[in-house]
Parts: sequence; C-alpha cells; structure tokens
Amino acid sequence: MVGLDTVVYGDVTVLDLIVFAISVVIIVIVARIIAIYLKRALSDRMEREELDKLVKVVQVIIVLIGVWFALPSFDIDVGQLLVVGGTVGLIVAFASQKIVSNLGSGIFLLIERPVKIGDTIRIGETSGTVNQIHILSTIVKTYEGIYVRIPNEEVFTSEITNYVANPARRFEYLVSIGYGDDTGRAVQVIRKLLEDHPFVLRNPAPSVFVSELGDSGVELTVYIWAPSRVWWSVRTELLQKIKEALDREGIEIPFPQRVVTMAEARRRTEPAGESDRHAGQ
Amino acid sequence: MFGESDYSFTYDSEEVSIRIDPSDGFYQYVRKSGTEAITKVISGGSRKIVVNPVEPVNLPREVTRFLEIHFTPVAIEPDSGETVYVTFPVEIGIFLESKGDFDVLDIFTLSRPKYSLYGPPEEGVITRYHKSAVSGTIPKLDRLKEGVIALSITNASRNWVEVSRVVFDCSSFFLYYGDIVSVVARMNILSRDIADVRSEDRPLGEGMVPSILVNKARKTLIPDKIPFTMEFGVGD
Repeated sequence: MVGLDTVVYGDVTVLDLIVFAISVVIIVIVARIIAIYLKRALSDRMEREELDKLVKVVQVIIVLIGVWFALPSFDIDVGQLLVVGGTVGLIVAFASQKIVSNLGSGIFLLIERPVKIGDTIRIGETSGTVNQIHILSTIVKTYEGIYVRIPNEEVFTSEITNYVANPARRFEYLVSIGYGDDTGRAVQVIRKLLEDHPFVLRNPAPSVFVSELGDSGVELTVYIWAPSRVWWSVRTELLQKIKEALDREGIEIPFPQRVVTMAEARRRTEPAGESDRHAGQ
Repeated sequence: MFGESDYSFTYDSEEVSIRIDPSDGFYQYVRKSGTEAITKVISGGSRKIVVNPVEPVNLPREVTRFLEIHFTPVAIEPDSGETVYVTFPVEIGIFLESKGDFDVLDIFTLSRPKYSLYGPPEEGVITRYHKSAVSGTIPKLDRLKEGVIALSITNASRNWVEVSRVVFDCSSFFLYYGDIVSVVARMNILSRDIADVRSEDRPLGEGMVPSILVNKARKTLIPDKIPFTMEFGVGD
C-alpha cells in the first residue's frame, strides 16, 4: 500500500511529490493571473507583440523562481539534480529528436525573427496571419479563419514570404482601353486618382504608362506603392475607382475583339478582277 | 474652436459641423464633414470635453508615427545655424475628460492627408507627407488647417548642407495652440545623410496652451524627448 510517507526515490516521498506538484500548479496559476493583470494594465500602452513577449518572459521567470523554491521540499541537492537532469535531458533529447529540432528551430526563429505576430505571411503552402509564435510551433490564422499549427522545424526550413516585413510594398494593375480612346487622358485620369488617394505613397511615386499595344486595346500598366499595413485595402479600393473614373470620362475598357472580313462582302466591294485573284489564292 | 468646454459645445462652418445633443438619457456626439458623418453615444459623466490640435498622423487610419515635411531647400553653412518657419497639417482631436483622464472621442482634419516613404522600401519609415513653404517669420495660417514649426537647424558638419526635408517622430511631439498652432523643434545636422530631430516642450509665443495629445491620452509608454535620427538624407 502506497502511503504519503512512501519513499519514491532517495529521500523523496509521495508527500514531497504531491507538495511539489501543488506548488507548481499554484505557481502556474499565479503566473497566469499576473499575465492577465499585465495584459489588462498595458494592453493600450504597448504594441501587442511587445506586450506578448513581456508577458511570456514574466511568466517564465515566475515559474522558474517558483520551481526553484519548491524544490527544497524534496530535500534535493540542486547541483546533483543538474547533473542527473543533464543526463536525463540527453536521453530525452535523443528519444525526442523532432521536439528538440522544433525547439532549436523555435529559438533560431526568435533570434532571426523572419516573422512577427500579426504579419501576413506564406509558409510553404500556408498563407495567413501569424497569431502566435511558440517555442515549438507557430500558429497561423489563414485568410479563411482556419487555425493552422506549423511545427517550427517546418517554418525554419520552409521558404517564408512575409508580405509586410518591409514598410511599403508595390502592386500593379493592368488596365486596357480602346484604340479609339485618348490614351493621354486615360493616364491623366488615373494619375489624378492616385494623387488624391492618401495611401498611394508620394515617394516612391506611382507610375502609369502604356505597356503594350494589345490585340483588343491599349494596355496601361499602373505601379503603386502603399504602406504594407494597408496595401490590400488600397488595392481593392483603387481598382474600382479607376474603373468608375474611366467610365465617367467615356473611356472604354474593351472586350476581346477580332476583325473578321467576309469573302462575299469583299467580292462585292472590290473590282471583278481583284475578287477573282483573291478567290484563286 | 480649441479649448475646454462642456456638452453645450457646437461648431458650425462650411467644412465641418459638430454638436452634442441629449438623447435618451445619454448624449449624442455628431460630426459632419464633407460626406463623412460620425455619431457616438457618450455618457453624462463630467460633461467636459477638450478640443485641440493633435499629432497629424492619425487619419484616415493610423499607419505611422512619423511626419515628413518637404520645403524649399535651405543651404546652411558649416558650423552655423538658422531658424526657419515651416508649416504642418493640423488634425483636431476631441477628448472626453474626467478627473484629469482623457479619452479620444474623435479626430478629424480639414487638410488632405498624404503619405510617403522616407528611406528605402526595405528599411525606411512610412511618413505623413506635407509640402511647405519656408519663411523667416511666422506665416499667417488658418489654425484649423495648418500649424507652424519654428525649426532651428544647426549644421554641425564640415560641409555646406542643403536641407529640404525634416522627419519628426510624433510619439514625442509637443504641440501648443493659441492664435496659431505651433511646434518648436530642433534639427541637428551631422552630415548630408544624418540629422537628429526633436520637438521641444515649449510654446512659440506667450499665452499658448499645450495640447492634449493622442499618445498621452492613450497613455502609451514612450520615453520623453527621444530625438529621431534621419538616416536617409536631409535633402531631395
């Protein structure tokens, strides 16, 4: 029968284990309460990312200090524990290489910081917003609102595209207008719209130019730089405005078109000899 | 328009109309400017509001804390200084006040916001852009649209430097208002590429009142008086 005074290992009894477990639970609860308090007190005074980091550091420090104070209930020599812990750690590390790999990757991610909380990213096949960066995994909320947990090893070894790492980014439109329309006027109308929009950056300046004489119309290319934080809303808003502005000016955005010449019609309009020659070709 | 008031505050002009009306046991704040109309319900409370100019980096949406002013190039000789007056766009903040605590009720502007990038796209900063003339005396301005910055430029480098832009970090900005809206600032040029810029906590003239700023109202944790270092040039 196992009693509270049953020795488990060395001088450690079941009672010691229970006391230690209760102490750890209390420490974790205290750390959480302090984290909630910190979040409430500082949420409107700090950037969310910085606040999350601060809260995590405070939590870890509280838990470590708590565990340190709880250990004497075991009456354990801490130095000896470290040696034993190191050996056990080595064994565990070999046994759980994936976890260790994820842990190492997590540490390198925190140092290199290719992504931050709130960044819009693509990691491998997953696109979305970074919700959390844990030590073993990174949580991404996809554009569809789906929770995706990516192990840090995968994050570290995958190609990462961070759409908002730079303060500004460029996007482009291709606008086609009819051959009969005034190209200069169309460029002017689009330029005016870009000038009036607050988030179309003054520098680097936007550019609007004829990029191609297409099959169905004259192709205009529009390059726009916008703050990375708002580029998507600017992109969606401006395209509609360009369409409406061109409509107001009577500038047509042409459908694909092809000029077809009927042989019968040609025979009727050309002299007899000419028609015969075409027919013989 | 600027100053402390109770809920009887109203303002009407061609560009903007503001009023607070009792509504169903509460009060209703209504602002109309252009096609924009804002309505908010506010509690009775202390019934005090403060209207004053705020950091011009909040509209149409907060994307940066930097203000960039471009002006006619000013050539400054080595080891010398010059004080010039440039303008900046005004944004007007309406705050609710209770026991010395402020809450942002509304921010609007009568000027047209435009943003830019100071520095390269990979390491620069997004800035609220403003084009200004340069003058040697305080210009006459519509205080609801533009304020004036008394900018003391010191060229600490060994070369002539042509200055045509200044970038402020508005998280440590000091605004005063009276007949005009003003900022006193210092720009210390270390080279053609590098300059320290800071706004000073003092009025441009007597009788001016310090503005309640959005950063202060939100109690953002920002150390006071940090100079912003312009690292990507002071000219075009």
